Amino acid sequence: MTRSTMRLVLPLGMTLALALAACTPAASTPADTDAPSDSEAAAPSADATAACEGVDSLTFTHTMNDQESPVIAEIAEAFEGTTVEVTQIPFDGAQQAYDQQAAGGEAPDVFRAEIAWIADYADKGYLVDLAGMIPSEEWDDYLAGPLAYGQWQGGTYAVPQVTDALALLYNKRLFEEAGVEVPATMDDFVAAGETLQADTDVENAFYMRGDAYWLQPFLWAFGGGLFEADAEGQVSELLVNNEGSVAGLEFLLNDVLGTIAPAEVDFPNDYNNAMTGFKEGQVAMIFNGPWSTADVLSGTEFSDPENLGIAVIPAGPDGAKGSPIGGHSYVAYAGMDEAKQACAVEFIRYLSSAENQGRLATELNLLPTRQSAYELPDVQENRLIAEFGTVIENATARPVVPEGGAIYTDFGPNFQAAWTGDKEPQQALDDVAAAWTTLLGDRLAQ
Amino acid sequence: MRDRMWVAYAFMLPVFVVMAVIVLYPLALSIWSSFTDLSRANQATVFRPGSEQFIGLDNYATILTSEEFRGRLGWTTIWTAVNVFFHFTIGMGLALLLNQKFRGRTAYRLVLMLPWAVPAFVSAVAWRYIFNGEYGALNLMLASFGIDGPNWLSDQFWAYVAPIVVNVWLGVPFMMVALLGGMQSIPQELYEAARVDGATRRQTFWNVTVPQLRSVSVAIILLGIIWTFNLFVVIFLTTGGGPGGRTDILVTESFNLFQAGQLAQAATYSVVILSILLIFVAVYQRAFRTEDVAR
Repeated sequence: MTRSTMRLVLPLGMTLALALAACTPAASTPADTDAPSDSEAAAPSADATAACEGVDSLTFTHTMNDQESPVIAEIAEAFEGTTVEVTQIPFDGAQQAYDQQAAGGEAPDVFRAEIAWIADYADKGYLVDLAGMIPSEEWDDYLAGPLAYGQWQGGTYAVPQVTDALALLYNKRLFEEAGVEVPATMDDFVAAGETLQADTDVENAFYMRGDAYWLQPFLWAFGGGLFEADAEGQVSELLVNNEGSVAGLEFLLNDVLGTIAPAEVDFPNDYNNAMTGFKEGQVAMIFNGPWSTADVLSGTEFSDPENLGIAVIPAGPDGAKGSPIGGHSYVAYAGMDEAKQACAVEFIRYLSSAENQGRLATELNLLPTRQSAYELPDVQENRLIAEFGTVIENATARPVVPEGGAIYTDFGPNFQAAWTGDKEPQQALDDVAAAWTTLLGDRLAQ
Repeated sequence: MRDRMWVAYAFMLPVFVVMAVIVLYPLALSIWSSFTDLSRANQATVFRPGSEQFIGLDNYATILTSEEFRGRLGWTTIWTAVNVFFHFTIGMGLALLLNQKFRGRTAYRLVLMLPWAVPAFVSAVAWRYIFNGEYGALNLMLASFGIDGPNWLSDQFWAYVAPIVVNVWLGVPFMMVALLGGMQSIPQELYEAARVDGATRRQTFWNVTVPQLRSVSVAIILLGIIWTFNLFVVIFLTTGGGPGGRTDILVTESFNLFQAGQLAQAATYSVVILSILLIFVAVYQRAFRTEDVAR
């Protein structure tokens, strides 16, 4: 009896130890308080005080991760206009949570929305049209790509905070050991992986996740895609089950999984397992975005940050390549009265100042969305930002429709079904297309 | 006497009002929603009125005729039956052991109740770490014996087994405590009489203990079935319904539809779940009540 209880206690204890170990890097990050001190003198504070006259407080909710959260909270709480109540919520489920709150009139005043959610919120009337509330020369400073995600039916509803795209992250030490170059094409990618597995002690050169967002680069590389939408949000064509998309999925299943990446992975734990494997040098390459770099650099393999290589995801047979441009933007809730809206807009302008974007860039390696932020000396010195900049230039903008945030609901399970052999690749992608036809409804040209 | 009955009703009124507001109204609303095409795209918001339309039984027709639904109903039934079977049999075994007199009995009881005392979501998350295919405690232990453990949570077969293991672990203490309570209320005279008659331990178990535990067993099995049928956390936090939606039970699928903004279909799922359980409870109670009368 005692032995059986011990067996129960032991795994629990190990889990706790693991959980504690996972927490340590997060706790060490906010210690950088003596970071760039010039960032204190941010934003148009005189405007802020005037605009926030009579506004007691603002609520600000964001979905940044545990490494990022202390930094954004510190910036937000330093706003001079009024008191800001900052809330961190998990990214998973945040889209639906804000939707329900906004529908019921209870949404936070300022929210950090993922770029694919904005058109949906704007279409439902939840958001303040910021176009006329921010001077046009300030708008001109923003990068066109991230800005476009916040535009819907002639209005501009969001100020981009960060932009991102998936990159090929690789371990330079292992690449040197195996004597391989950074792969430019998908065939090079597989060849490099095989050499890495033969010449170094990595068991799997690459680690793929069972998540449809991570599948997209393969679809684009082989000439496939998601769907085609115009500025009015009319969808002319579904690409997800075309020949190129199927070829991309088949390439992944036949040539990558089981060859240079695990044939089976633990889907519910795949993000963390990919990260753990990469951080400890058991995996030489992963796909991930700039949000992960703070975590990657906390790994033993990257105690020398120079060991982290960042490259564009390899191209397909016809030179096509792609990586989903993502990012997050600040939005203001239309349910506020006008005085409060003005204050909220000042708060968003403050958060988005080049200095504050620069601070997120230097402390967290997050990619700014303003040209002026890239010109700051600290940002220019950041190698990771510069290399991710190249990745973004080669990345793919996603179509802007209100349903953009909901497309992964059916995409993910069907991708997993194709992976586990439950469905043929063509069938899985046809099922995604059928689900999207229902989802898009009238938006899809018949 | 009858004149004063109004006092009793007056005292019941607040409870009735609260029940109406927090149970009956939402229930009526979700039944109504299941006859419409309500979604997050057309629901009423503070900015505009709703534009959902009455579509009759379309949602029911779509869901009940779909292959996915039949698959999920089958899996939900297996999930419930297997779980409750092990809850009850293991709970019974442990209750029998703990009903003996031995040193440290209280300590064993406490340890065995531990899974019940820990919030279910905490246990589920802990088990997800244990089952982690690459870095989980279970596979690390197996590896030390030279066994290459599977990806418990996304393997076509083990993804069904793993959440059942978690839930059996979680659900046994309740059955154990209920059965132990039942055993301790059995009059000792019955056992003494059985001993005088020369009954073996096995005969005593089947002819005294089991019949005496009948009423408590009927009740806890019914509760167990209802709880397990609708048990959201274990599936959601271990396999997440994966791989590819295979291990979603009816209630997690209802949540998925809700998250996807298909509110009417989510409501239809919940009405279907409620109907299945109501029919089951009616049949179950009738089956056991008639036997009681016959005895």
